[in-house]
Amino acid sequence: MSQPVLSVRDLHVEFVTRRGVLKAIDGISFDIAKGEVLGVVGESGAGKSVTGSAVVGLIDPPGRIAGGEVILSGMRIDNLPPEELRRVRGKRIGMIFQDPLTSLNPLYRVSEQLVETIRTHTNLSSSAARKRAIDLLAEVGIPAPDRRIDSYPHEFSGGMRQRVVIALALCAEPELIIADEPTTALDVSVQAQIITLLKRLGRDHGTAIMLVTHDMGVIAETADRVAVMYAGRIAEIGPVRDVVQNPLHPYAKGLMGAIPSLEVETDRLVQIPGSMPRLSAIPTGCAFNPRCPFAFDRCRVERPEPIQRDLHRVACHLYDETTIRAEALA
Amino acid sequence: MTERSYVQVDNLRRVFDVSKPWLNRMLEREEKQFLKAVDGVSFDIAKGETFALVGESGSGKSTVARMVVGLLPPSAGGVTIDGVAMAGRTDAAQRQRLRRRIQMIFQDPYASLNPRWRVDRIIAEPIRAFGLLEDDAQIRNRVGELLTLVGLHPDDGRKFPHEFSGGQRQRIAIARALASNAEFIVCDEPTSALDVSVQAQILNLMRDLQDRLGLTYLFISHNLAVVRHMATRIGVMYLGRIVEISGGRELFLAPKHPYTRMLLDAVPDVGMSGRQRIPVKGEIPNPIHPPSGCTFNPRCPFANDRCRREIPPLLGGVACHAVHEGRITIPAAA
Amino acid sequence: MTEGLQSAPVLAPDKAPAASSPWHARFLDSDIWASFKRSKLTMLATFLTLLFLLAAILAGLVAPQNPFDPAQLDLLNSRIPPLWEADGVAPYLLGTDEQGRDVFSAILYGLRVSLLVGFLGVAFSATLGIALGLIAGYFGGTVDAVIMRVADVQLTFPAILCALLVDGVVKSVAGGQLSPAATLGVLVFSIGLSFWVQYARTVRGSVMVEKNKDYIAAARLIGLPAPVIMFRHVLPNVLGPVLVIATINLALAIITEATLSFLGTGMPETMPSLGTLIRIGNNYLFSGEWWIIAFPGVALAILVLSINLLGDWLRDALNPRLR
Repeated sequence: MSQPVLSVRDLHVEFVTRRGVLKAIDGISFDIAKGEVLGVVGESGAGKSVTGSAVVGLIDPPGRIAGGEVILSGMRIDNLPPEELRRVRGKRIGMIFQDPLTSLNPLYRVSEQLVETIRTHTNLSSSAARKRAIDLLAEVGIPAPDRRIDSYPHEFSGGMRQRVVIALALCAEPELIIADEPTTALDVSVQAQIITLLKRLGRDHGTAIMLVTHDMGVIAETADRVAVMYAGRIAEIGPVRDVVQNPLHPYAKGLMGAIPSLEVETDRLVQIPGSMPRLSAIPTGCAFNPRCPFAFDRCRVERPEPIQRDLHRVACHLYDETTIRAEALA
Repeated sequence: MTERSYVQVDNLRRVFDVSKPWLNRMLEREEKQFLKAVDGVSFDIAKGETFALVGESGSGKSTVARMVVGLLPPSAGGVTIDGVAMAGRTDAAQRQRLRRRIQMIFQDPYASLNPRWRVDRIIAEPIRAFGLLEDDAQIRNRVGELLTLVGLHPDDGRKFPHEFSGGQRQRIAIARALASNAEFIVCDEPTSALDVSVQAQILNLMRDLQDRLGLTYLFISHNLAVVRHMATRIGVMYLGRIVEISGGRELFLAPKHPYTRMLLDAVPDVGMSGRQRIPVKGEIPNPIHPPSGCTFNPRCPFANDRCRREIPPLLGGVACHAVHEGRITIPAAA
Repeated sequence: MTEGLQSAPVLAPDKAPAASSPWHARFLDSDIWASFKRSKLTMLATFLTLLFLLAAILAGLVAPQNPFDPAQLDLLNSRIPPLWEADGVAPYLLGTDEQGRDVFSAILYGLRVSLLVGFLGVAFSATLGIALGLIAGYFGGTVDAVIMRVADVQLTFPAILCALLVDGVVKSVAGGQLSPAATLGVLVFSIGLSFWVQYARTVRGSVMVEKNKDYIAAARLIGLPAPVIMFRHVLPNVLGPVLVIATINLALAIITEATLSFLGTGMPETMPSLGTLIRIGNNYLFSGEWWIIAFPGVALAILVLSINLLGDWLRDALNPRLR
């Protein structure tokens, strides 16, 4: 029971370009337990979406998984032949993307798409599959599902479409759902409904959810644990409450302070100088060192490995035993 | 309108013809279709303040912005800036003088800079267009000054836009807006294409510039937290109308309109204060066929027959029958 | 610790600037150059195209004879086979035709005429098409509708028919024979008139995308008049696809000219283009003098193929999504 649904070990993803090899993901490890929502947050270029794609083996050339393991409930899946991987992806991993239209075929009725998916993965008769599809639509909150099921995707509004995609992802009762910016294209009021839905589904079905987004608010509302990514590495990972309210990594601190709040009035927002480095020019040592106000010599030469600090794992030399000892001496 | 107002927007309306082409209409026997993107919006902005319009997609906030700067002619109503009417029979010279004082910052910094021009030429364009400086050396100095002002290096002027990150491009766009010594800047979602850490840089920069140069902002955004951080006064828009207008603090402490309340409840909470929230109901209706009466009535827990029949006027800063009739108790501002 | 982050000066430079590199360094580092270096076929096509261009320009220096000058032609030297045949005579490398014209020289000079008609035709159609496309796309509405309906009508006529029509009308108006230079003008005009639609459509499409971008809004905000915005801001941003069409159309224009000349409505025999040479040669194909038609034909085929390959490569190189 203690076995995680998803376990990623030292994953590397590279993109081969004529200017050289770009490391999009440079050695990341994390687990997601049954029924847990892991938020993966980061700014553009941090590698969060690539992580999601790599887990399901959807890295297209010139990109490639250059190392590490992806283990789904004890079974290694990153080295499966494409055909088998495709089956695993359909049956055991559900996917939700930012634009619901990429997941739905505009030429088929929603009923056809749902029934086909259900029948591919179960041995239900078509009438039983249809009944199951209607139940699923009801579960994701589509009103009058027995009528709406025969509509085409374009007849739904943006929020309703995303609900249909979620229903589609649930068809095969997957162990893991990967949601890549599922609410980014939606209005705030609709976003709140989708977040609530995702949270409920994870709880009810015991599905592990990997929620990839740039929106810290969404993570704070939805996730149990959060991984903050920077330049292809995990800067900090831990329980969401701890990371949001008491971040350790200077980048995580800056990120939290940079978000304007509805609750607290601030005169100035915390700002991190500069911007995320391009993949072709990732600084040596700690990738964050040029933007970090606490950087010292070691940060410029040696890359920090994740260190356990209370409930967090943080990749920062500031929390290394030797640094702390040196500070205590000073 | 009060004497203090610098920008006056008076009963602004904009209708878009969204009909199919004539031949299709004839063959399919369809009526012409009109979209009331903005339906009677009035507000005023005092000099040096930041007035924000906040709303979800289809609320018409960006259309208002484009009418205020004169990019889009209003179907009815008018905009007066410092006593000069933007639309109508204002003579060309006077309008050109007014244009110099109004600038705009756009949402997408990748589309708002001409990709084939060097940055210094982009920033110098308003200076040349308004004939502010004649001498090339003077213009070069001024461009360098502007680049420094927005946190870039004068030598950055020799580069092309694609050599910059999104945040840096938005700085360039701000420098261009300031090049004509503009006093009033309309910002249409200036940070929604940017990452949070970069957003913080740009918002801080905009506030610093406001303090230094006494700028007046019309700030358009869908992000309530950003609006709270920036605005002195806020108008909340829903389907082409302002449903609530009030001072920045009051709006967040004591929201009146049910839509404002719903919107505030819907925003994901980074503070994790665990506040109780009303579940959000329904989605924004199709603006081509808006609901009758108050357009929010199908989603409103307080709606009654009058709400479905009669459009509520904006009284006391809120357009809601339930509030006017005292059917909703408003939490006292702390 | 957050104070440390806040202490960063707000108006400090984002990063130290690096001076922009000179244009040739940028070019050598560009994706286009890289894609050029990757494709051997493109390099060969470029080499051949340049060779033909050079040959046309330097025809006067390279060719042993000026085939346009009747004084240099000697009927006694007619129908000499190529040099490597048993009856070959120097300096007639590729043999001579029935008027004693050196085929090699005729090809060089014919190339000159063909390329001249091609370039001028493309220039004319591109100018016309770009201008109309800009106007249609930028102003929209009735102007757009009128221009694009004319374009639709134009498209229903095959280019060759259109060219024949113009040619016929001009000739009947001018009454009988035209001077070779005037014929060249008529060819350029009729080719230009039949190819403008493609430019207009492409430019209009790009303009409609570009004019809604915010840099155009920014230019409108400072009160620039429409023509200034069109030429300064819109035009440079829609020229990429035009370059591709122009290259492919250059090949098409050369073919069209050759066809017209072959049909006898093009360049006269006194100032032959490649098409005219093929027409002349056609008469001797069955009497065994194959070289009179074969060499101009091969030259035309290689020229058109090279330009087309160049155009195809350019289209792919400028559109990274296709790679």
